[in-house]
Amino acid sequence: MSKKIGVYICSGCGIGDALDVSALSKVATKEYKAPVCKTDAFLCGKDGVDIIKKDVAEEGVNYVVIAGCSGRVNYDVFDFGPSVVLERVNLRERVVWTQEPDDEDTQAMAEDYMRITLAKLKNLEAPVPFIGEEVSKRIMVVGGGLAGMTSATEAAAAGYEVVLVEKEESLGGWLKKSYKIAPLSPPYTNPEETDLAGRIKKIEDNPNIKVYTLASIEQTAGSPGMFDVTIKQGDAAATERVGAIVLAAGAVPYDPGKLEHLGFGASPNVITQAQLEELAQKGCIARPSDGKAVQKVAFIQCAGSRDQEHLSYCSAACCVESIKQSLYVKEQNPEAAVYVFYKDIRSSGQYEHFYKKAQSEGVIFIKADVTGVSDDGGNITIEADDLLMGSPTMADEIDLVVLANGMVPATAFEDPALGGEAQAEVAAGSDQAAPAPAPIIKSNILNLQYRQGPELPSLKYGFPDSHFICFPYETRRTGIYAAGSVRRPMDMAQAVEDATGAALKAIQCVEMSARGMAVHPRSGDLSYPEFQMNRCTQCKRCTEECPFGAINEDEKSNPLPNPTRCRRCGTCMGACPERIISFKNYSVPMVGNMLKAIEVPEEDEEKPRVLIFACENDAIPALDMAGINRLAYSKWIRIIPVRCLGSLNLIWVNDAMSKGIDGVLLMGCKHGDDYQCHFMKGSELAGIRLSKVSETLDRMGLESDRVYMTEVSIMDYDKIPKIVGDFVDKIEKFGPNPMKGF
Amino acid sequence: MRYSFYPGCSMEGAAVPYLKSFEAVTKALGIGIEEIHDWNCCGATVASGVVGHYPAQVMTARNLALAEQKGLDIIVPCSSCYMNLAITNKKFIEDDHFQLMANEALGVAGLRYNGTLKVRQMIEWIINDIGLDRIKSMVKRPLTGLRVAGYVGCQTPRVFPWTFDDPEQPVFFDKIIEALGATPVKFPLKARCCGSSHSITKPEITIDAGYKLIKSALEDGGQLMVTPCPMCQLNLDAYQGMIKKGYQLDISIPVLFITQLMSIAFDLPPDTWALKYNIVSPFDTLSKYGIKP
Amino acid sequence: MTDLNVSSEPVKYNPDFAKEIYALESGEHVKLCMQCGMCALSCATREEMDYSPRKLFLLMRVGKREEFFKANTMWMCSTCLMCKVRCPRGIPLADVMHDLKSHAIKLGYTERPQATFYQSFWQEILNKGRVFEGGLMARYYLKRGWSEMTKGLFEMRDLGMTMLKHNRMPLKSPKSIKGLKSMKQIIERAQAQMHREEGR
Repeated sequence: MSKKIGVYICSGCGIGDALDVSALSKVATKEYKAPVCKTDAFLCGKDGVDIIKKDVAEEGVNYVVIAGCSGRVNYDVFDFGPSVVLERVNLRERVVWTQEPDDEDTQAMAEDYMRITLAKLKNLEAPVPFIGEEVSKRIMVVGGGLAGMTSATEAAAAGYEVVLVEKEESLGGWLKKSYKIAPLSPPYTNPEETDLAGRIKKIEDNPNIKVYTLASIEQTAGSPGMFDVTIKQGDAAATERVGAIVLAAGAVPYDPGKLEHLGFGASPNVITQAQLEELAQKGCIARPSDGKAVQKVAFIQCAGSRDQEHLSYCSAACCVESIKQSLYVKEQNPEAAVYVFYKDIRSSGQYEHFYKKAQSEGVIFIKADVTGVSDDGGNITIEADDLLMGSPTMADEIDLVVLANGMVPATAFEDPALGGEAQAEVAAGSDQAAPAPAPIIKSNILNLQYRQGPELPSLKYGFPDSHFICFPYETRRTGIYAAGSVRRPMDMAQAVEDATGAALKAIQCVEMSARGMAVHPRSGDLSYPEFQMNRCTQCKRCTEECPFGAINEDEKSNPLPNPTRCRRCGTCMGACPERIISFKNYSVPMVGNMLKAIEVPEEDEEKPRVLIFACENDAIPALDMAGINRLAYSKWIRIIPVRCLGSLNLIWVNDAMSKGIDGVLLMGCKHGDDYQCHFMKGSELAGIRLSKVSETLDRMGLESDRVYMTEVSIMDYDKIPKIVGDFVDKIEKFGPNPMKGF
Repeated sequence: MRYSFYPGCSMEGAAVPYLKSFEAVTKALGIGIEEIHDWNCCGATVASGVVGHYPAQVMTARNLALAEQKGLDIIVPCSSCYMNLAITNKKFIEDDHFQLMANEALGVAGLRYNGTLKVRQMIEWIINDIGLDRIKSMVKRPLTGLRVAGYVGCQTPRVFPWTFDDPEQPVFFDKIIEALGATPVKFPLKARCCGSSHSITKPEITIDAGYKLIKSALEDGGQLMVTPCPMCQLNLDAYQGMIKKGYQLDISIPVLFITQLMSIAFDLPPDTWALKYNIVSPFDTLSKYGIKP
Repeated sequence: MTDLNVSSEPVKYNPDFAKEIYALESGEHVKLCMQCGMCALSCATREEMDYSPRKLFLLMRVGKREEFFKANTMWMCSTCLMCKVRCPRGIPLADVMHDLKSHAIKLGYTERPQATFYQSFWQEILNKGRVFEGGLMARYYLKRGWSEMTKGLFEMRDLGMTMLKHNRMPLKSPKSIKGLKSMKQIIERAQAQMHREEGR
């Protein structure tokens, strides 16, 4: 189908007052020969939209360019169906709301943005979705504890078939070991029955849920929509095709053997929370040493957690668990004295009511650092620094001490049977600079057939990495969603919520994959990377750098892309030295054409040009917000949005410099341990690639500081004028790029 | 409109100008006010600290029982009296066990209270029942230009927080000042403690509190303080000499009861203004606005 | 402010004293204190107190009975209600302070001038059914003894004179209420009822 471009310029919202719209039209019609170019004062109104619809229907316009407001607004108004390619020229937020009206430099900026967009169309096609073969919408849940059972029932209730895999002989996980659980429903004041039998029955009675017990996963091959999971049950093996996976493998208590300083091991009357559950299940909370019913019980919180010597994180559930167990003691004997030695009581959400309940039952909470636990013939003395009293304190004649010993995710343990060191995600020994590798611990849970390693990459402490703020359930393996205490330490109420959320994400994933669409964060994106294999040099950069492990390798190191694993960030495209990776609507030549379309004034005009590559996820919204807040910034800049700084190909910097552009600024997201990058590693990789640019610039005889990368979060909109201004000032000090006019 | 009226002990003593102006203002508004016959002390903030809440509340309830015989809702100008009467009344209405027990005790004197009355704080009653429009219509001598610090005091807005206003930065009292034509000043300490009965046992507390309050009132150009609370008025008026001496303050600020200001604005006979009782003379300030008795 | 750290010897927790306080009329609420300190921040007379309410409750939990009752905290409370309004755990702190005052009086901790004032006020109520300020002052200074009386009179002389001059302090005591006897009977019955309930 031939390309027919229609350009529609809106003069509303002050655009017509600030700009010479007819001169702008001439850029489209004379320079870029757009066959249709119309102007309207209210393009997002019904009449305005109808003009475009009419041209699409009657004139065969199939590439629509709207010059007006930001593409982040009115996207629902300007929707002309999947067959029409739509591009937006942001004249409002990016030009007239930040620049002097009726000024030749403002006009030049607007005309450049028109050129950039029209140049983009040269290499832009409507994407054709990738549809896999035998796509499955079934969901596999790994782990049959509270979280896994919840995910399974929730997904099944939404009409999806579920395969539930549990390593033990029956479902229940931690519930099996509990006397009661913390309340999951109002008024959140009393421990609840575990209802284990009821929960299991609900699963067994559901024809949509298939349960494998005493089972393990031998391998997980394929990709979202087409995972082939080999499940081992004894000697038998079965393969299930599923569309998405919920990982609910849970956590285990922290090893109390390491808590000798709190008396564990030295006295039988110092026990763990799990041991107290056992005692309560047996019907009497008694001293292990002599079976005497307890009169005085002390709980020691953060036994191992929030302790640099042990677990540096908060295990999140232990406060609520101790509150619950203190109520067991009070239930058995209301006159019993119960002390809870704590650092901070973290009974978040509705568990504030539970905490109050324990207080009103007379449980005494002491904010203290425990300094010693000693046993004198079964009677235990706790010495502590009471932080509120500001003095050393002691409690004696204690019958039972319960250590709240925290939790460690199942994914944190290397399976000794598999042997070998934890594998780094990115191949070690590479001579290239690379981001710190995310460890992949061979925990023998999923056994992924992925080039980058068999399990989920972790960030810290063995928990699977995810974007904790924006999309918590996403792991760094598309279609695999972590839920419950394997994802982060959490209590049961949170685990139920988590499991429900992850089930929903899994459902979204199977539906999107079946339609050839990307999942979060580029939800609905139909484009995917295509490889021009005859030019591939088997350098492995794409297979190593993909933050999502989307690309496998054959034995000759050829990349084997898995489009449904892909999040469409373009990191592979940025990595490829041969530039063989392109999307239908995003490619190296396309952006190259865009930046080449910028008109660079002659040196003697003293009008510098600074190109900004801005990340679409945070920097672009921040730039829009700067405009919405009418924050004026430099008139010398030209902005080109990128999917992620990870997609930045160094050739663009080369091209910009060769063209005579005076400086290049990269705006990306925060990286590091508390990264904000929506594609985890994109901005970090861009930073590393950039370090290599200085050599190139030196060769060209240019100052390496002409190219600079900065972190911009969505909240930084008020800093935009300064960030831009400081960089432009620096470039002006360097003087014009000597390549101008070559 | 007819109401029962609980004056409280201070209106018979130090707060006599409050009583005089209150009676004049309600009469001018055409409201019938009947003092509860043979009322007794509400217990102030003291009785419960000696004999416990329950006996103190039952003692307070004697007044409710006496008022119920007339069937008229009770207007209470004093903050502490309001606190005790209103809280006791609430207990009668909401706590069946309390009602049963308290009526057994009241029964010793042949009394009984069924919880049928409302106990109304005077300020809230003026705004919600009489209405600011009615107040405005009564103003014959608008206090235009006079900058007034409305010192609502601590208990009035906090007995039942958020029922008629914010307990920390209330504005309802200022609305009456506005209705009288005067300008309420910002006065951020308008609901801070005046030192209460520490004035007897530890006067330095009252003097310190009074200094902070007067400073706050003066900061936004306050020329006059008004209050609905007898204790606040007494502490700020009678102790102002000591406050000035203690903190080398060379400026005075008169402290009036709100009903005194109303009486002036309504242009009622000057004897009902009861200004002779005010220790810090308001006459200089008032005369600037052409107000002379 | 008194330092809580009275000795370097470890303080032994004694859970029994807290039960005594929990048994007071509003005592049950004290269990819910989570030591946030909002009461201390809100208190108008905080700087006068030996311990803020928060720290007083801490002493209770530890079981330091003597320090608890010797503290002036409850006596410094002026019932301005800011703590009660702000307490995130809904503890009616002003009511608790009143419980502690009456409990302290009952236990004989009456040496503070505020305790004398409270007792004088109560006597004045029982005497006439209403409180006559002149009578209250007379009772208070008589109970505090001669030295404090002269000291007090000296300090308050100007004040008293001014009040007299402005007719703010009637010298003549008003008559007792007619129902004084029945009021006292009511109070006695109520006290008896309370003792009965406490005994349960």
